[in-house]
Amino acid sequence: MKKHLLPIILLIIAAVYPLVSNDRFMLNILIMILLYATIASGWNILGGYAGQLSLGHALFFGLGAYTSTLLYLNFGLSPWLGMLVAIVVCVLAGLLIGIPTFKLRGPFFTLGTIAFAEVVRHLTLFWRDLTNGSMGLNIKYEPSFANLIFREYEYYYWLILGLLVLTTLLVIWIDRNKIGYYLKAIREDEDAAQTLGINTNKYKMLAMVISTGITGLAGVFYAQFNLFFEPESVLHANISNEIALIAIIGGVGTIYGPILGAFIIIPLNEILRASFPDIHGMNFFIYGVLLIIIVILTPNGLFPILKRLWERVFKKKQKPDDEVVTNYDLESK
Amino acid sequence: MILKVNDVSKHFRGVKAVNGASFHVEEGEIVGVIGPNGAGKTTLFNLISGSLPVTSGTIEFNGENITNQKAYVLCQKGIGRTYQVVKPFGGISVLENVMVGAFNRHNSREKAVENSLEVLKRVGLYEKRNQIGNSLTLADKKRLEVAKALATEPKLLLLDEVMAGLNPTEVKEILPLITELRASGITIVIIEHLMEVVMTTCDRIVVVHHGVKIAEGTPKEISNNPEVIKAYLGEEVSYA
Amino acid sequence: MMIIQTIISGILLGGIYALISMGLNMILGVVRIINFAHGEFLMIAMYLSFIFYAWAGLDPYASAILVVVLLFLLGIVTQKGLIEPILDKPASTKIFVTLGLSIVLQNLALMIFNANYMSVSTPYQMSTINLFGIAISVPRLIAFIVVIAIVVLLYLFLQNTMVGRAIRAVSMQRQAAYLVGINVKRIYLLAFGIGTALVGLAGSMLMPIYSVYPTLGASFVLIAFVVVVLGGMGNMFGAFYGGLLIGVIESLAGVLFSPGLKEVVYFIIFILVLLVKPSGIFSRGKGSEEVGL
Repeated sequence: MKKHLLPIILLIIAAVYPLVSNDRFMLNILIMILLYATIASGWNILGGYAGQLSLGHALFFGLGAYTSTLLYLNFGLSPWLGMLVAIVVCVLAGLLIGIPTFKLRGPFFTLGTIAFAEVVRHLTLFWRDLTNGSMGLNIKYEPSFANLIFREYEYYYWLILGLLVLTTLLVIWIDRNKIGYYLKAIREDEDAAQTLGINTNKYKMLAMVISTGITGLAGVFYAQFNLFFEPESVLHANISNEIALIAIIGGVGTIYGPILGAFIIIPLNEILRASFPDIHGMNFFIYGVLLIIIVILTPNGLFPILKRLWERVFKKKQKPDDEVVTNYDLESK
Repeated sequence: MILKVNDVSKHFRGVKAVNGASFHVEEGEIVGVIGPNGAGKTTLFNLISGSLPVTSGTIEFNGENITNQKAYVLCQKGIGRTYQVVKPFGGISVLENVMVGAFNRHNSREKAVENSLEVLKRVGLYEKRNQIGNSLTLADKKRLEVAKALATEPKLLLLDEVMAGLNPTEVKEILPLITELRASGITIVIIEHLMEVVMTTCDRIVVVHHGVKIAEGTPKEISNNPEVIKAYLGEEVSYA
Repeated sequence: MMIIQTIISGILLGGIYALISMGLNMILGVVRIINFAHGEFLMIAMYLSFIFYAWAGLDPYASAILVVVLLFLLGIVTQKGLIEPILDKPASTKIFVTLGLSIVLQNLALMIFNANYMSVSTPYQMSTINLFGIAISVPRLIAFIVVIAIVVLLYLFLQNTMVGRAIRAVSMQRQAAYLVGINVKRIYLLAFGIGTALVGLAGSMLMPIYSVYPTLGASFVLIAFVVVVLGGMGNMFGAFYGGLLIGVIESLAGVLFSPGLKEVVYFIIFILVLLVKPSGIFSRGKGSEEVGL
């Protein structure tokens, strides 16, 4: 497991961080980073490994948030249980949405996911009796473990870190085993995959429901952390785009890529947001320009580039330039 | 009889790509399917391998009616195929490519790696196992194509113009692979334009023209068949 | 009577949807790229139309020619500068580049015009004509007539001119067209230009009917996509009929259910089509589209 050494070291540092720092602002940012890292890692299973680019994942984020919060507000159900319900609901939603959208290939699949997300957003705005429409939902600040409301940020931090670790372990497992190989085959060439014995519909669906479950879970966390949300903040296309962007910039189809991506994009957002408070729209304008530039320069994301740099610096072996080697040498486990 | 194609047709909006084709393949044979360009050979393969549904007719594999069953089901049952225009999984390594095939029969990673390495040795790609799919030469991509299908442990292997695009040296290198595959117990049906390949390796040849079988027999019989000669007259028989 | 009125109104508006979708289809079918910024081009067209009105007193119909030409040029520039360099990159790159473009354009509009709704005020905007007892809105009628004229012209262009046939050739078989000597890159430029020009015309026609605001593109581009899928990707006439159909459905839904649920209704239709006949209601079955279905 020595290729996971660096991430493990970073994990230990991350876990210990809140004990040595009192910076609440930083902690807040880190929590957002870890949150998006988790969602993007889940997204990556569908978008990166299976190659099905969904730009509608905000649907599941919002669905998770609304499910657990409505159960909590109306029935007093503990959000811990709400998490489980949210996962189930999002898995079912993923199934239902997958059925029509997987009939579409490539960018049309993407547009299908956008369409579904928009429908859910409109429905949520419209169905005021259930969701309180554009006013959103408020959770009263009554800290307790059962309520999943914490007084200190540290506990939120450790919770989301834990979720990220669980997600990453899942991704590692997928990456190493049959399912990962099958998903990659589907991404590379769906027809060829079928003639090699892969039930592509089944595996695409599997990737879909795993990713939607994780996203829904993250939605519950967000609701409990922020204690307020509305359709704009959990169902908007911007969130869907952000999730996909983080995974792609970080390194699509890699284990740690989305985490790297979150550490880049989220702080970038904050900086941009803070830089131009007066000119309405300037920050997103720059964001769009950067988006175009970055995506053209790093079509496979930053992680593979960093990895190659790392290998060239730390591994003394001289690799001939024209021989391209993949992620890892399978025979050294 | 491992494969029986009964009066199979495939129509595309008025174009009859395959029009009532029938033939059979015995276990352990190497059968060649030849015919002028556009005769419907690849479409025939698509029908047998489950990539396309038939318009009419039936296909039997090992006595079972497999008409219109899905491609992945048929692969699990033992039909493997390669594509004329190779479809490597370009973004992953050669070994990983083959492992995808190996997972068809083995669920564990270790077994899949083990089997894949064996297959790679057989096709001669062992040294390049860690290279990324896209970086291979065409000849190696063809080998990879065969390796992937081989790893699924098929009983019947459909090879669609494996030699297309290869120079004579490369053809000579890959040729023994085909006979070696049959020796290991796999029945082979091969679409080819290269007459020397067809004549030397095939036990029987089926000639297809305009979506129908116009002749069938041993290489010697086919080369003397007036119908066959007529079908090729006026059309270039392409050499690689 | 009310129902017929609603339907007619829907058909007329549907003409504009058809125009937008045909523009999208042209780009999709030829260049094989999903332009996420297509809706923003519509927004730009409308803002241009508004500017000509506000600064030069030009009626949107009068400035339509200008807008169309400007959008045509915009399309060519976009294709040359942004799209051409990324045509061989992975799908995610293509999606995010045009997505980035849409974000850039939306916020550019926001910075220049701020978020207010802008509209023109013309003497005939609210007038209606009475045909067989049905009140027909004049701007919608004019828009529809223009759309029909354009559809006919487009058809003649694609069928009968060398360039038109070249475009069709590229959309059907890019490799073969290249081998036959067609300058594929130039055809891409033309197709993108025409596709964007169509959207430009749609914008001019829309200005007397709708207000413009920076995020207007988002709603229209989704409609365009639904129409394209409904009509069959690459199928120009499918897009035309699909646009009309969506216009009618939207009108009826707004009246029978609630305006807030318009989108939901046609998305449901869209999903049903996906489930039943994914290649489109108006297409002729499983075709060779690599991009779509």
